[in-house]
Amino acid sequence: MLLEVKGLRKDYGKNTVLRSIDLEVEKGEVISVLGPSGSGKTTFLRCMTMLEDASGGSMRFNGMTAFEERDGKVVYAHKKELQKIHSMYGLVFQSFNLFPHRTVMQNIMDAPLRVQKRDRAQAEEEAKALLEKIGMTARANAYPDQLSGGQKQRVAIARALAMKPDMLFFDEPTSALDPELTAEVLKMIRSLAEEKMTMVIVTHEIPFARSVSSRVIFMDKGYVIEQGSPADVIDNPSNSRTREFLKKLEEE
Amino acid sequence: MLYKGDMMKMNKHLSGIVTALTMMLTAFGGTGVSAERTEFTVGFDAEFPPYGYRDDNGEYVGFDLSLAEEVANRRGWTLIKTPIDWDSKDMELETGAIDCIWNGFTIEGRENDYTWSVPYVDNSQVVVVKEDSGISSPSDLAGKVVAVQTDSSALAAFTGENATEENIALYESFASLTQIGDYNSAFLNLDSGAVDAVCLDVGVAKYEVEARDGFVILDVPVASEKYGIGFMKGNTELRDEVQETLFEMLDDGTFARIAEEWELSDNVCLSREETATEVSVSQTADKKKANIGEICLDLLPGIGSSLLIFVLTLLFSLPLGLLFALGNMSKIKPLHWIISLYISIMRGTPLMLQLLVVFFGPYFVFGIQTPAGYRFWAVIIGFVLNYSAYFAEIYRGGIQAVPKGQREAAKILGYSKFQTDLFIIFPQMIRVVLPSVTNEVITLVKDTSLAFAISYAEMFTLAKQTAASNTSVLPLFIAGGFYFIFNFVVALVMKQIEKKMALNK
Ligand SMILES: Nc1ncnc2c1ncn2[C@@H]1O[C@H](COP(=O)(O)OP(=O)(O)O)[C@@H](O)[C@H]1O
Ligand SMILES: [Mg+2]
Repeated sequence: MLLEVKGLRKDYGKNTVLRSIDLEVEKGEVISVLGPSGSGKTTFLRCMTMLEDASGGSMRFNGMTAFEERDGKVVYAHKKELQKIHSMYGLVFQSFNLFPHRTVMQNIMDAPLRVQKRDRAQAEEEAKALLEKIGMTARANAYPDQLSGGQKQRVAIARALAMKPDMLFFDEPTSALDPELTAEVLKMIRSLAEEKMTMVIVTHEIPFARSVSSRVIFMDKGYVIEQGSPADVIDNPSNSRTREFLKKLEEE
Repeated sequence: MLYKGDMMKMNKHLSGIVTALTMMLTAFGGTGVSAERTEFTVGFDAEFPPYGYRDDNGEYVGFDLSLAEEVANRRGWTLIKTPIDWDSKDMELETGAIDCIWNGFTIEGRENDYTWSVPYVDNSQVVVVKEDSGISSPSDLAGKVVAVQTDSSALAAFTGENATEENIALYESFASLTQIGDYNSAFLNLDSGAVDAVCLDVGVAKYEVEARDGFVILDVPVASEKYGIGFMKGNTELRDEVQETLFEMLDDGTFARIAEEWELSDNVCLSREETATEVSVSQTADKKKANIGEICLDLLPGIGSSLLIFVLTLLFSLPLGLLFALGNMSKIKPLHWIISLYISIMRGTPLMLQLLVVFFGPYFVFGIQTPAGYRFWAVIIGFVLNYSAYFAEIYRGGIQAVPKGQREAAKILGYSKFQTDLFIIFPQMIRVVLPSVTNEVITLVKDTSLAFAISYAEMFTLAKQTAASNTSVLPLFIAGGFYFIFNFVVALVMKQIEKKMALNK
């Protein structure tokens, strides 16, 4: 098992945002996370990627414990182990977060060179291959500000891939994009799914989620209220909240 | 492009402006040469006891001021006491802002520069040292640092045109001769060991040595001289009036009584027999006036000093500011408290005061004698501490302006905190802060002149001294031009850097 989350809880002061969430991800799975705004999807991703400290529960990557609860307190692994775990996953943000002072090529190559200390020639070759893959070879020396939103998100995905992660998290990767730019990003994620990349994707793109996911999770008010195959959750939702949410999205 | 004709026109305009300014000053001074004089404006250095100084009650008092008061009373004039910047005394007189300089004013060496009264005090230049200094005669001053007041008679005794061979040899034996703006800081310098001896008028020396502990006057004077009242050249009318009244006071004993009040009975020498040092107006032989070339040459070391302060300050404070910014944002609370206290003190008090504290603090707070070369390093330390604080605040703003997502992206990619700061945050911060840094750098160019507070001879201090010894405002204009050009170049360079940083947009 690649990822195992058990009883994850997150409090902001007295406000509990995530309540006892379980999630298991096998290698090669693509999981879509759906749910209304404010239901805790982003917080869930941020806890799993350890940008946010969990308030309860445990998490393991590839059998290594990232954190677990002991005597009612969450204890994180030691720095060395966490570093290893960090290198197992990547995260693609809604707002891209590319480094504005670096070119496209540098954005992709910098971390492999500085963090993973890879051979420069090899890293450069791989970066070029990634650029080719996202169809942006011509923009290798452009700065992020010179790109369209869709291009930026594709570069951000390439930057995450350059680290050769075991899995990728996406937090609404197309929400900041115009519809015509959304398509190019979704196409790219789809091609990653075809290559059996393990992914957890928070999205509002229902048709995309239906066709790309092996499993769909529906969240509301900090709970996972429904979980299963796309056919079960999206086409035949058992929960009234899920039905309501899907109906609303359709109307839009 | 400016052609020669334009330049001359500009010169004419300039001199027109100066004339207009002079006339305005004269008008405001209310001291025009009117037949009915109602006011008598005396210029004096407010830090020259017992001749003229500010007493504990904040009143301007002194032997000279008492004499002037009596003269004014007898003549039915209202006395206006105008404390002046000693470096600017000639400008004050020339513009008519004051009627005379009456302030332990040495005649020797200045015979041709003013219309003089007869001498009324016989004074000599003496050397004051610390009691335990081991210096007992002027010859012991070889290899020592000696201080004199800017444009004082002590300075003239060593470097003036009428300096004796003996004094010139003595002067050449000094490690250095430092010019200090006022006697109070001269004695602070002496006390702290920044200078080994102060050379000054015996009257002032007696007063200071009595008022302070631990100083002695050497028996052998360096030079002897006389004090007179200096009027604007050619103004014999006012001179005669004042002098006549002084003689009346001499005759009826008032003069002697006032001298006794100020414990100067041994020093006074007013006598009807003495004739005033008469100088005809035509003999305006401006022998002291140097040409532009010579003045520039005089100012050259000052330019070097100012540039050095500028370069060293930036060299240290630009990186140091970053450390302070990080310390201020640190999660370690005590570190944050200390740094933020330091920053608010540096930003909340005058740089001039900070320079004084850095220079005199080691001695007066910790009793540590500072070596002669410390004056320069005190300037650098003071400037670096001050500018680091300003840069720290600018950097902090810049770091906080970098979006949170940048740190998060770096964290996900596995950068360490240090790598994140160095490769992701700082480069973005620099672009944000560059305009504010440019502003500070330009302020620094002008701030270098504050080094005068601890008598460090940078550009502006030197310009003031040169202006005083040449009785000309030209050095000040040249200094102004220097700062302007300096800033122009700095602004140009910073613009280039900003352009480079702006990426290819
Ligand atoms: N840093 C925070 N501090 C306090 N409350 C937060 C914080 N971040 C998110 N929340 C709250 O947690 C809840 C879930 O937010 P979020 O995870 O962003 O939902 P979603 O991504 O599903 O829209 C919201 O009620 C939000 O207000
Ligand atoms: Mg969200």
